[in-house]
Amino acid sequence: MRNITLPLSEADAESLKLGEMVTVSGLLFTGRSRFHIRAIEDNIYPPIDYEKINCFFHVGPVMRQTEEGWEVVSCEPTSSIRFERYGADVVRKFRLRTLIGKTTMGPETAKALKEVRGVYLSKIGLSGNALRGQVKKVHDVYFLDELGKTECTWIYEVENFGPFFVAMDANGRNYFEELSAEANARMPEIEKMLNIPADYEYTEVNG
Amino acid sequence: MMLTKKTITEAMYNAIRLGATKMPPDIRAALQKALAEETDPMAKKHLEISLQNADMSEKGNGLVCADTGFPMFFVHAGKNTEVEGGFNTLQECAAEATARATAECFLRPTMVHPLTRKNPGDNVGPGMPKLELVFDRDDDGLEILAAPKGGGSEIFGTFYRMMFPADGEAGIKKFVIECIKDACYAGKVCPPAIIGVGIGGTADLCMSMAKKAALLRPIGKHHSDPEVARLEKELYEAARKIGIGPMGSRGINAVLAINLDAAVTHTAALPVAVNAQCLVGRRWIARIDGAGNIDYTGEIE
Repeated sequence: MRNITLPLSEADAESLKLGEMVTVSGLLFTGRSRFHIRAIEDNIYPPIDYEKINCFFHVGPVMRQTEEGWEVVSCEPTSSIRFERYGADVVRKFRLRTLIGKTTMGPETAKALKEVRGVYLSKIGLSGNALRGQVKKVHDVYFLDELGKTECTWIYEVENFGPFFVAMDANGRNYFEELSAEANARMPEIEKMLNIPADYEYTEVNG
Repeated sequence: MMLTKKTITEAMYNAIRLGATKMPPDIRAALQKALAEETDPMAKKHLEISLQNADMSEKGNGLVCADTGFPMFFVHAGKNTEVEGGFNTLQECAAEATARATAECFLRPTMVHPLTRKNPGDNVGPGMPKLELVFDRDDDGLEILAAPKGGGSEIFGTFYRMMFPADGEAGIKKFVIECIKDACYAGKVCPPAIIGVGIGGTADLCMSMAKKAALLRPIGKHHSDPEVARLEKELYEAARKIGIGPMGSRGINAVLAINLDAAVTHTAALPVAVNAQCLVGRRWIARIDGAGNIDYTGEIE
């Protein structure tokens, strides 16, 4: 399995194949809905060097404060599809070449990733405890008081972090959209198996 | 004997802590069976990693899933059960247990105000933790099932449709199978899911039946009504043909189980609700006997 160095280079991004499993090493930042909404609607975002810390990890980790500083208890990638309304704008604004999350994102984010030559990596299984061990250092935290531990932005240094798989490549292809088309094509046969008439329609009461 | 607030709080705290850190045995067995069935490398990898993740959590390293979600308690009391301060105390006990488990990092502070999005940091607020109390036992004890329910399954796995008598069984089946396909797309509800379906009743009863069918029934147990059980089996076989497997991969196991429940309803109505539970099916039970002794189990009856 390949290990990719962050920030992801254009050449590495283009070499990643749809469905390929990878790990990543380097610096990343975290965020969820509040990051997306605030960055685009209010132009409020953590003052970090986005060229250097260019990987956006969609997560609300469980964090514990110890005498030595913050430690990760568990960090499970969260459903990225929720951020689709702002996804493309965030990718363009920060020129993000790597997104890591759960599920996938929609066509607008795919288009933006293609423009910046970026990829979207999706989690494999529930892996929050293994991922925790691969976070080598919690470098910083932004907006902790305003947003709380779950929605704020953490800066992690990670090593062989993953595995994840390429769910959206730098050419705009989407693993799950292709898989979903296969599933949709099977539905008529499944409905037949369930004795649902081919021309079945629910009773319409709204005119 | 009167059950003290201290005993009940302790039982609730441990039940939700164990729920967040242990995988129930029937769920583990079902995931292992699914792993043996899948052939696609990615489908297998999703399950292998998820089972390893639960192993790490059980050894004291982390959580079964970091999204500990909505804190919920389902409480069964007996006809002779007595509670210090009266049964109203149970909500206070649940709040205290939830806040403690959150402070100790067994629960993530996830509950926020729906409009201001303000996070109190302890998962406690109006309506949360959610507690349901029923009096259906003969003894003087309490059974408390704690279920930290993840956002993925609740957010992407909740559907309701008011149908009509003419829509019939075909309508129910079409609705449920389409919900399963949508819920499992890109692994939104974290499949293999346990799909709860409510049929009949009022809108709230219908959804409550769906939720309880998803959360409170052991894997492999069918409804006692043979007609309902037949529908469960038909839908289960159909769901395995969609071609969506673990975490939305190419595979067989979109679902671990489809559990239906039914209530009588208005002669003009056919309400159907779907509520999904994710692959780790988190729940743990505390049983308090009349003397205040507490036992914990992941086995559901």
